[in-house]
Amino acid sequence: MLLQLAQLGVSLAAILLLAWIARKLRLGEDVRIAGEEHARRLAEEAICGFAAKDLALDRAGIGALLRDTQGRVLLLRRHGAHFAARLLDSHAFARLDRNLLTIGTGEQTFGTITLDLGDQAQVWASSLRRLGN
Amino acid sequence: MAPGFNPVDFAVPGFILLVLIEMVWARRKSPDAYEPRDTLTSLAMGLGSSVAGLLTAGLVGAVFLWLYQFRLFDIPWTWWAWALCFVLDDLAYYVFHRTAHRVRWFWASHVNHHSSQHYNLSTALRQTWTGTIAFGFIFRLPLLLIGFPPAMIFFCAGLNLIYQFWFHTEAIKQCPRWFEAVMNTPSHHRVHHATNPIYLDRNYAGVFIVWDRMFGTFQAEQDDQQIRYGIVRQLGSFNLLWVAFHEWIAIARDVWSAPWGSKLGYLWRPPGWSHDGSRDTSDALRTRWQALQPAPPAE
Repeated sequence: MLLQLAQLGVSLAAILLLAWIARKLRLGEDVRIAGEEHARRLAEEAICGFAAKDLALDRAGIGALLRDTQGRVLLLRRHGAHFAARLLDSHAFARLDRNLLTIGTGEQTFGTITLDLGDQAQVWASSLRRLGN
Repeated sequence: MAPGFNPVDFAVPGFILLVLIEMVWARRKSPDAYEPRDTLTSLAMGLGSSVAGLLTAGLVGAVFLWLYQFRLFDIPWTWWAWALCFVLDDLAYYVFHRTAHRVRWFWASHVNHHSSQHYNLSTALRQTWTGTIAFGFIFRLPLLLIGFPPAMIFFCAGLNLIYQFWFHTEAIKQCPRWFEAVMNTPSHHRVHHATNPIYLDRNYAGVFIVWDRMFGTFQAEQDDQQIRYGIVRQLGSFNLLWVAFHEWIAIARDVWSAPWGSKLGYLWRPPGWSHDGSRDTSDALRTRWQALQPAPPAE
């Protein structure tokens, strides 16, 4: 039992050390959406057949909102060195503060994201409010 | 893994060293191959899996020893028995693995291994915490009933697991053709971890890729398909408990809210199945993707 606990402790230390080394080597840093085409491609990869009709990119490229021809709205957000996406439904919420739109999916572990959408923020905020109705 | 000599214990220092070497390679050649929080999550899942294994080893060992008394043959401890056990254990792994992707009950346990959007040696260590309570060990029971000693089966299973570590990498593109034809390789297993519709539910092999070739589930890696790793609905979270239990929680919600006649479907049907057809299985995604492909030019 003591040996197993010692093994557990050493393993935990090794894990933390490896994660620290990955950080020190600056691996997986700072991924951004490069532009509209990139956002469209990410959306199509997330939802097979998702053809974006309208989209709004965060100014820093950390996320995007896209609407397809069926009226579905997709939230793209940075997750580590990649992106994750969710179709927004009536559980989603949006909070507007000037050009900043904070969006939540209703999925606690997915979290919320604040996008700087410039002058498009208000239009998209209205659009997202309609999802809830 | 049941009590006794476990070769995986002796391989762990090698695993750590190889992860370190791959990180240095990533720094020079592919910095996005690793992400510190993803790495930490994968390695913590591996540690948790070892702890879960220790806690349940006695139960699995007891089940194996009890069933062993009903064996058909007394298989001796000879070289051919070891070789046969290793091959048949790998076949049992193929059956388990295929089922783990096609039956949501087993997927709930196995999905952990696929939930990273990265494909590196730390991903190999992202293992389940719920394998035993999902009864994943039942796929090895036929070997026991044939008459292979439990310790021989556990040892071969350990070797199988060790073999599966090295090919979780993007650092190796292709192995020699003869090796690619027979053995599971980084190229074959990259396909298995991909979410591209053409690659979904393919290459279930553990050690020998010949099982996929024999049973029609083989897909070669293609140059024109840039691989995306992870699961169809990416988690978007590094929360360890969510990574470990999210699919079990999703199953519980689905079973709770489904009509009575459909509840069991959420346990035994493929991931993505829903009673109202509102979700997509791998087969549905592949069909849709194929329909969206441009027709080949007329000659």
